[in-house]
Amino acid sequence: MTYRTQQKITRICWIIGLCALAIPFVFPFIWMLSGALKGQADVFSSASLIPSKIHWSNFSEIFAYQPFARQYFNSLYIAVLVTGLTLFLASMAGYALARLRFSGSALVLLLLISALMMPEEVTIIPNFFLMKKLGFMNTHMPLILLPLFGSQGVMATFLMRQFFLALPKELEEAGRMDGLSRFGVYFKVALPLSRPALSAVGIITFLFSWNLFLEPLVFVNDIELFTLPLALANFTDTYGLPLWHLQLAATALAVIPMLIVYILAQRQIVESFALSGVKG
Amino acid sequence: MSTIMIKRLICAAVFSGTIATNVNAEELRFTVWTGSKAHLDMLNDIANGFKQTHPDVTVRYDTIPFGDYVQKLTLQMAGGNPPDLGWLLENSAPAFVEAGALADVSKTLHATENYNYADFSTSAMGLWTKDDSVYGIPFSTSPFLVYYNKSLYDAAGLETPDQRATDGTWTWEQLKKDAATLRNADAGVWGYETVDGQGYSARVWHNLIPIIRAYGGNAWTDGTCHLDSPEAVKAIKLFHNMIYVDGSAVPPGEQGDFFSGKSALTVTQISRVSKLADANFDWGIAPLPAGPAGNAATVGQAAVVAFAQGKNKEIAAEFLAYMTSAKNVAKMAEFFPPARKSVLEGDAFLSSNPAITPAQMKIVAQGIENGSVLPSHEHFPQIEAKARPEFDALWSKDADIQATMTKLCQGIQPLL
Amino acid sequence: MSAAIKGPSLTLKAREAISGWLFVSPILTGFMIFFVGPLIAVFYYSTTEWNLLSQQSHFVGIENYVDALTRNDTFWDVLVNSLVFAAGLVPLNMLLALGLALALSRSVRGAVFFRTVFFAPVITSAVAWAIIWTFLLQHESGAVNRALSVIGINGPNWLHEPHWAMASVIFTRVLKTVGLNMILYIAALQSIPRDYTEAARLEGANGWEIFRRITWPLLAPTTLVIMVITVVGSLKVFDHIYLMTGGGPQNATLVLAFYIYEQGFKFFNTGYASALAVILFVLILALTILQTILKAARK
Repeated sequence: MTYRTQQKITRICWIIGLCALAIPFVFPFIWMLSGALKGQADVFSSASLIPSKIHWSNFSEIFAYQPFARQYFNSLYIAVLVTGLTLFLASMAGYALARLRFSGSALVLLLLISALMMPEEVTIIPNFFLMKKLGFMNTHMPLILLPLFGSQGVMATFLMRQFFLALPKELEEAGRMDGLSRFGVYFKVALPLSRPALSAVGIITFLFSWNLFLEPLVFVNDIELFTLPLALANFTDTYGLPLWHLQLAATALAVIPMLIVYILAQRQIVESFALSGVKG
Repeated sequence: MSTIMIKRLICAAVFSGTIATNVNAEELRFTVWTGSKAHLDMLNDIANGFKQTHPDVTVRYDTIPFGDYVQKLTLQMAGGNPPDLGWLLENSAPAFVEAGALADVSKTLHATENYNYADFSTSAMGLWTKDDSVYGIPFSTSPFLVYYNKSLYDAAGLETPDQRATDGTWTWEQLKKDAATLRNADAGVWGYETVDGQGYSARVWHNLIPIIRAYGGNAWTDGTCHLDSPEAVKAIKLFHNMIYVDGSAVPPGEQGDFFSGKSALTVTQISRVSKLADANFDWGIAPLPAGPAGNAATVGQAAVVAFAQGKNKEIAAEFLAYMTSAKNVAKMAEFFPPARKSVLEGDAFLSSNPAITPAQMKIVAQGIENGSVLPSHEHFPQIEAKARPEFDALWSKDADIQATMTKLCQGIQPLL
Repeated sequence: MSAAIKGPSLTLKAREAISGWLFVSPILTGFMIFFVGPLIAVFYYSTTEWNLLSQQSHFVGIENYVDALTRNDTFWDVLVNSLVFAAGLVPLNMLLALGLALALSRSVRGAVFFRTVFFAPVITSAVAWAIIWTFLLQHESGAVNRALSVIGINGPNWLHEPHWAMASVIFTRVLKTVGLNMILYIAALQSIPRDYTEAARLEGANGWEIFRRITWPLLAPTTLVIMVITVVGSLKVFDHIYLMTGGGPQNATLVLAFYIYEQGFKFFNTGYASALAVILFVLILALTILQTILKAARK
């Protein structure tokens, strides 16, 4: 056997191995699509992935069952808002902690770092009463404020600081020479240079908000105010039995657009993680 | 899109989310656990009737899934966003009454013309009164019944459960035998599905108590747990054998929906008839089977309550009185067997639901007459939490039922 | 010449300090209100007995902690479950992430495809992922057991048998999250200069030796970060448990984060739940400190 063929065989083995490994990652999506097009009784009774009859009506029934479009929009606007605000506030704070010397900055940093890993479960109970006092119960405010100022916001600040630390200072000094204010340097010089970090942090923050489950569960009552994760868990009939076919169809509607965006932007996403130094 | 426009859109979105809860003074929020269109249409019909005397009052029904109902309700109350009215199950009644979470509506009821409060029997009101105060009016006193797939019974040539009930041979042993005969693994048909398919989780009590009572056992009486009695253990063993020996009962983690023809038998309440509107098989209703201790009809009770923290207590109480007036109770009887004697005994009740024959409705009426209500307790949530892992331990092939139930009783005894 | 250079140096310093505080103040203020404040409050709550339904509370001192640590068997089960969950998830997740990253770090065509595949669950909502897997893991009609029966294995009732339930939750959680760790490893691998490995290869080192002596040490900082993220992520797992098992069967998958939620918002033992939250806080703080020490020790 020549070295060449040997290498070829190794390569084929690798690919077969990876394909096998990919099954549990890919099959759920295929099964979801198949289930989304089946009738309620069919979801389990038939093992076939191809529905015996295609029920496109599942997709319209979702919208009759609950205000799914509104819920979709809720998730989307909250995630966009949280991401935008987090990027702005976290990059500003991160910039100050990396570049500006001021007494107390070390203390602020320490405070933030100690909260870096704290899950929201730790503070959810007092936050429940705080939100009640502020009149934010059954509104979207907790879903915006808690990620922004909780561990996710802190994480974003910390990552931005790490990125700015690694950024060469020269360009900013040139900006100072041109008479830009501190804010001007941050906004006009540093921020444009930190696009990879911003997009990596932005992606993480967006996903965090998009996936948020505990907070909506605790803070939101009205079905019109539900976010997608809550809405997906809410496809049950009168007596609490899941409406599998609708649940799967709704899940498909929630997942597919994200998958498409991801596939289109996958190279940039991986690159931004590589360039941002989100690795410590 | 310009950034300004985006900003405006976002502001509008946040704002609309924020103010959506600022309830109009004339809106009553009413929490229910049904999402069924037939039920909601009927309820909205009642709300529209109320408009004739209270033109500016609208009622908004909020559906909370059954499994999370009490939890979500309590969260809303604790979060300062209490509903005005709601449904409440028998097992939550003592906890809510003790906590002072329910409004006393007795004054309004007595002031309402032609209300005829005496129409509710003392036994039906037991859970909902304390001294002279009235904290809720049962709108549903619903016996558990056996639903069976008549097409499957006929195809197998078996005697149907309601026939057997008339003959006096309808027992749990018989149900077990029928379920085993009708189980058809190749066609994906199970013999027996537990209550709403939730007999291992949210409705484990609904699942087991009827069997246990037919065998002469009970959950608890006067602060003593009886779930480890020989009678109770025997009853649970019967059901356990259906799962693990006969393979006829839908096991945990499996789906076998009676209403789409995937199970031959199930136990549930009359309101589920609305799920059979499009059934492509014949079905029938029979009373719960008898056991060694004879017939033991079991009734689930649910009441309309007004919440003590509600913003519009006066109007809420008035609506409660309106909803439970003789006229509206008769209307609701289509799905929710009434607690009003006058309605229950009237002939109109027997034909109140076109999907149910008078003969079938008679079974319901008998169940109400003879039935005892499901267990309830002031500490029911804690009892449920304590009991849950022990119940879980029952659902394996080699479970030691006696030991498990002894442990369960030890666990909940301090709470009783 | 700009004003900054003309002005006296003291003003410059003061100005920098003012801008510094202005820059951090928005996030710091929110952080104080929505994190530090509640954190202090949770310590206070943990010393009360408080029923959410009747809204009455009174001071009980350390009673809730005594309750959790000595009287309540469930608490220790929960703690063990949380540790088992972490101990199962973290090594599996990290080994898989590293393996995939090593296989896919070079930007050949197939690699990009597989990266997309393994990362896809990361961008899928956790709720959706848990829902789908709950279906796939049904006892008889679930796809997993159907597949197993083809090769003659009679699969267990995954989510309804205590040990399998834990294994199932860990497994599906790994699938959901491994992609992000893989990407982080790939980013780290790509930043290792090619010359290092080339030089070693020229000296006759084989693949394993190169990995052990060059790649692995250079990956150490990344590994540490990934480990901390993954450990903490495993301690805060909530949605998977909520949707797939509800903490059952027999409390086998009842983990700390879920237990806090259940005690606080289902059984309304606000005080007890707060004590649990404090315990979770201490646990994670200890981990963070441990990480800092490890980091310092390496330097």
